[in-house]
Amino acid sequence: MENLEKISEEFSFDREKEIARSFSKRFQWEMILIGVGQATVWLSLWPLVINGHISLLFGSLIATICACFAYLPSHEAQHGNYSRGNPKRRWIDSFVSHYTLITLMFPHDVMRATHMKHHAYTNNPEKDPDYDTASAKSLWEVIVATQAGISKYQAIAKIYENDKAFMKSFNKGLNIGMLYRVVLLTLVVLFPLETLLLWWLPSKFGIIYLSIFFSWYPHYQTESGRYKDTRFWSHWMPRYLNHSMQLHFIHHLHPGIGHYDEPKAIEALKPFLIARGVPGAEDIPDRVKHNPLIKA
Amino acid sequence: MDKFKEILTNHISNWNMVWFGLIFWGSVINAIAIRYQYTDITIYCYFIGLCLGLSAKIRGTWLWKI
Repeated sequence: MENLEKISEEFSFDREKEIARSFSKRFQWEMILIGVGQATVWLSLWPLVINGHISLLFGSLIATICACFAYLPSHEAQHGNYSRGNPKRRWIDSFVSHYTLITLMFPHDVMRATHMKHHAYTNNPEKDPDYDTASAKSLWEVIVATQAGISKYQAIAKIYENDKAFMKSFNKGLNIGMLYRVVLLTLVVLFPLETLLLWWLPSKFGIIYLSIFFSWYPHYQTESGRYKDTRFWSHWMPRYLNHSMQLHFIHHLHPGIGHYDEPKAIEALKPFLIARGVPGAEDIPDRVKHNPLIKA
Repeated sequence: MDKFKEILTNHISNWNMVWFGLIFWGSVINAIAIRYQYTDITIYCYFIGLCLGLSAKIRGTWLWKI
């Protein structure tokens, strides 16, 4: 909350929150469509490949694309952006996240618990679960760090072992993780190459993609602090191919803003970011288009 | 039940890589061998998988050290 006292009333934190809240209401149907859609496509690949309707290599390519689309719908659910605080809709968060993460073999409860800690302690070397990839010095280091997969979270659990809420969620997720392992090892005996090329390998590519674009680029060489822990960055890719992660900055400020409402939110909040001296904020275009988005 | 769960959890966290090597990589290597008409070397394929798993357990990583 640094610099809050130095900012004029026009750009006060309360005003910033008020604007952010106006972008935090819409039902995120696009994300549900992507999450449920990719997981359904991925599941349908199995009978299609096993029965010879499509080749295994083509199936593997589609599965890899599915894996790259798998995390973001869960990420919205982790922040409760489908239910929006309505207890009757909480099942949507849970269903979408569990279902979409099948492709990546990630347990929703572990992801949610650790992601909340990532937001609370971004770039803290001891407490941020994503610090290993965010602090990597090169793309290669990111790829090497992803080897650990879900098992890296066991070390994180030791840090938070006295946090009851965290451990409850974490242990619940571990059971799902165990189930994934059992299913994977059963499937590999029955359909070895299909399991390798439709699930294991695509999930690895998906995790590398995720670590690079969701963790490394947005937090690369940033510090700790509300307006410092995430950065604007540019990339040759149209932003739809990297899930608009150039806008990750605004997500860290206001996680309740729906992913597809972030461009409009960042346009509206641009003067606030400039007032707070956020590096690169002056380069935010008045209208956020496909690419280039924000000059680094 | 809790005791059983604890023993199982400890076993999995200690021997996870070995079992994964044996079952996962053993099955994959065997399937590749069969695809290339080597149908009678199944035991060796699973042995290679087991060795990969043991090596990963000893080194603490499958590929590169972090």
